Amino acid sequence: MRQRAIWSAVLVVGLALAGCGSASDSGKSTSSDGKLVVWDWKSGEPFAKSYLDKAKADFKKKHADVEVEFVAQPFDQYYTLLGAAIQSGKGPDVMLFNGGGQIRDRVDALVPIDDYVAEDRQRLAGWEAFAKDGKTYAAPVTLQGYPIYYNKEIYRKANLDPASPATTWDKFVADCAAIAKAGSKCFALGNKEGVGIQFWLSSLGSTTLTAAEYDAWIAGKRDWNSPNVKRIFQTWKEAGDRKMNSDGANSTAMFNDSFALFQSGKAAHVMGLMSDVGHWQDFNEFLTPEKLGVMKAPVVTAGTTPSLPYDGGIGYAVAKWTKDPKVAADLVRSLSSADALKAFYADAGAIAADTTIDVSQAGPAVATIVGELKSGKPALHVALSSKTLDLMGRLSQQLLSGSITVDEVVKQLAASDQAG
Amino acid sequence: MSRLRLGRWLVAIPMSLLALATIYPLLFTANVAMKTRRDYILDRFGLTDALRFENISTAWNSVGMGRYFINSLFVVTVSVLLLLLFGSMAGFALSQLRFRGSSALFLGCLAGLFIPFQVIMVPLARIMADTALIDTYPGLILVYVAQFLPFTVFLMTSYYKGIPPEIVDAARIDGSTVYGVYRRIMLPLGTPALLSVGILNALFCWNDVLMALVMMPSADHRTLMIGVTSLRGQYSDNIPTFASGVLIAAIPVLLVYLFLQRQIADGVAAGSTKG
Amino acid sequence: MPMGNTQPSVRPASAGRAGGAAVTPAAHRHGTRPRRTRGGLGAERYAPYILVLPAVLIIVLLRLYPLLLGVNFSFTGDGAQNGTAVGFGNYRELFGDPLFRTALSNVGLLVLLLPVAVAIPGLLATFIYLRVPGHRFYRSVYFFPAVLSPVIVGAIFNLLLAFDGPLNAVLGSFGVGPVDWLGDPDIAMFMVAGVHIWATFGMALVVFLAGFATLDAALLDAARVDGATLRQVVWHVIIPALSRTIQFVFVTTMIGMLTSMFGLLFVMTSGGPEGSTYLPEFYIWKQQGQMNRPALASAASTILFMIMLVVGLLQIKLLERSGKED
Repeated sequence: MRQRAIWSAVLVVGLALAGCGSASDSGKSTSSDGKLVVWDWKSGEPFAKSYLDKAKADFKKKHADVEVEFVAQPFDQYYTLLGAAIQSGKGPDVMLFNGGGQIRDRVDALVPIDDYVAEDRQRLAGWEAFAKDGKTYAAPVTLQGYPIYYNKEIYRKANLDPASPATTWDKFVADCAAIAKAGSKCFALGNKEGVGIQFWLSSLGSTTLTAAEYDAWIAGKRDWNSPNVKRIFQTWKEAGDRKMNSDGANSTAMFNDSFALFQSGKAAHVMGLMSDVGHWQDFNEFLTPEKLGVMKAPVVTAGTTPSLPYDGGIGYAVAKWTKDPKVAADLVRSLSSADALKAFYADAGAIAADTTIDVSQAGPAVATIVGELKSGKPALHVALSSKTLDLMGRLSQQLLSGSITVDEVVKQLAASDQAG
Repeated sequence: MSRLRLGRWLVAIPMSLLALATIYPLLFTANVAMKTRRDYILDRFGLTDALRFENISTAWNSVGMGRYFINSLFVVTVSVLLLLLFGSMAGFALSQLRFRGSSALFLGCLAGLFIPFQVIMVPLARIMADTALIDTYPGLILVYVAQFLPFTVFLMTSYYKGIPPEIVDAARIDGSTVYGVYRRIMLPLGTPALLSVGILNALFCWNDVLMALVMMPSADHRTLMIGVTSLRGQYSDNIPTFASGVLIAAIPVLLVYLFLQRQIADGVAAGSTKG
Repeated sequence: MPMGNTQPSVRPASAGRAGGAAVTPAAHRHGTRPRRTRGGLGAERYAPYILVLPAVLIIVLLRLYPLLLGVNFSFTGDGAQNGTAVGFGNYRELFGDPLFRTALSNVGLLVLLLPVAVAIPGLLATFIYLRVPGHRFYRSVYFFPAVLSPVIVGAIFNLLLAFDGPLNAVLGSFGVGPVDWLGDPDIAMFMVAGVHIWATFGMALVVFLAGFATLDAALLDAARVDGATLRQVVWHVIIPALSRTIQFVFVTTMIGMLTSMFGLLFVMTSGGPEGSTYLPEFYIWKQQGQMNRPALASAASTILFMIMLVVGLLQIKLLERSGKED
């Protein structure tokens, strides 16, 4: 009986394989005429549905005969899969990117889209994060920035005025002492992936570096030995030494354990995001809009003016190997069209790249953020290479555990920054 | 004899504790799956306040899990059957038959064992694309078979080495062909090993994410674990839905194991009484 | 396998041979012999090759050949140097990278932990085989962690080992701690390895249990009659009899540790704190994806392959020798 079962199974397998094989011989390569394949990590999420519907409808008006397939990849593996696709030269026609290093490292596989998106230039913000050497490779969908959120309820408990948070670093440190006395932590910090330091660098950058230093940093002329650059890492270390951070920061994931600490009222501040997660919409839900505040960065170096650090968050790009870049670029434009972005803002809680969207309904915190976009500047960490960011993450953990000095940190970062 | 018996009772204590530690995470996952997202964020460790099954249905309905489930079932079943067939054939030949080049072939198979998937990922994807096997079920099945065949051959070879050569010799003297020996003696005798390696292979294939992602770019060709993984999203904090997806993926495997492990145990018992 | 019953009509006419377990093997075989041998002495002579052919073909075409391509790729450059030969440039860069060196020393640590990872399932399988009270129950539940994918195992232990998590709460009630299990570079690697062992011992257990099928129960009975202790039974009867299974578990456990801890690392530590939990596999993933250095990743993969080959073959040789001495 057993033999019969096994041989029959073999037969079934053989037939199945043969069947599949013949059925799929006509199978498509990833791109074909009349069809565009899009890779992203968002389209599977329920909140992206109305956004995609709007974008697809917009695209249909331009190219009714072109079919569009969205493939949601798990974000963890996204760039690994993209790398494999790029190397084998067979991949999607349109793909989603994070702004900054991730897209700049891969422009060899992309088509510059400047000529196609000229009309959208004015309406959308955040183009720089998708540009390299003067060419633009993706159209922004969201803006990503790093505001400092605070919990007004905790301020009240610590006898601090929730309407006027500290404007200088020294006052801020003093406030934190009061907050600690009232039984809360000052910062909800997650630095397991080494991301905490990136937010720190960008959030406090505008009030630690002089305006000239800031612009030079973004332009690629970074002086790691300047006292103000060192100061950023000193305040990071100081916050750790003074126990201002939540416990076990090096083993706490920023996404989303550190945000959960802030949401559940265990810490008074968090350096959060504007889009995706860990942002006003999440915090409003847990703290209520009345208790959620957004503060300007406290001034560390006298004479500096705080500004909101932000860049293009995510954007769609066109692959080099697509049949007709014009059609693909039209899809990219549809994915950044006003109606689609409005839906994305409303459902996903992102600050869309289209700054004409009315956000007045979403509470005071988001109004503050959008109000600061005008004077905002690109974030410092987005200008660094992936390699330097990775190193900075590890060094920041050593700073917290006290096994390295600030001087050594900037020395290593300078070497890495100059090499790459 | 009595000392041995006392020892048995003594080891039962740590073994029970370990059993507890192995059940706990499943209960923990089930507990998380019952919570609302809000409850989870506010208190990660506490017990759920109600038996909620919405998350399970959300997870099932969200990303075409039904389709993925069928895909996984098909791919895993075929892969495992092929693995068992090829693995036991090769294992029998390499362990019981003497022929030129057998040790070289065994080493070749063994070398395959030491290749992490990442190292061959890109070249393999290119080979699959060139042969139009990418994004097809046979393609993914071939990749799974190739990935776990060295393991299977190795296990079957070392298992069959434990079977006294006299059994094969006796059958050959009886006039049975090599194929006859394989079918009528080696396959039945190999049952415990085949079941074990079958379970493990099924588990490896079922839980695989990376190979399926690389080989199956089309959304509707994906497997269950990809569906579960994508429930996590980029930064998604809806852990209860993810936990529900984990349960959906884990429970069938668990049931299959609970069913088959009896057979393994019976096989073990049969083998040991046979002496 | 229910499929067997649904297919008989498809089988060739000679299928009748296989029918009926009641037919005694000898008589059964006798009847078919002539046809068989006439089927070709050649087929019989090449039988071993035919049996190994599918396995060898698949492994050579879909594993060894791509490996060669990968090794070849590791001698080319990344980014601007894409496609040009750079000789051993990638390898030089790897050995100059302190992170990769950490990853290699962690491999050493894991190899040292290997005996523990093998002994635990081995002992448990022994006890189950010896029918300790509740053995059926243990046999069922010990496999539970193995069905969970590493990502979820990692997520669960992330919570259990969190600074404010249950483990520290329990220790705190004894006045110990708190310990930052995953945040202390001296401890984190052991925690990850420990969780990996916990998550996979069920698989090794299944293999051991299969191995017991070939164990001669008479030997055990004899040992018991002689009044042997558990220790003696394990040492003098079970280990020698299961040497091949042990060898197998050693090699596959090593491979599991070096190539499938990625999910755990990713969720539990992301290679941190301070890069202390890097393993080559995680390094490869990071270079391939986030860092966009596929050729460098290929070089790292090649080194990982060499390490596994050397350690694996060494283990097989060592265990074979000790098996013979017994």
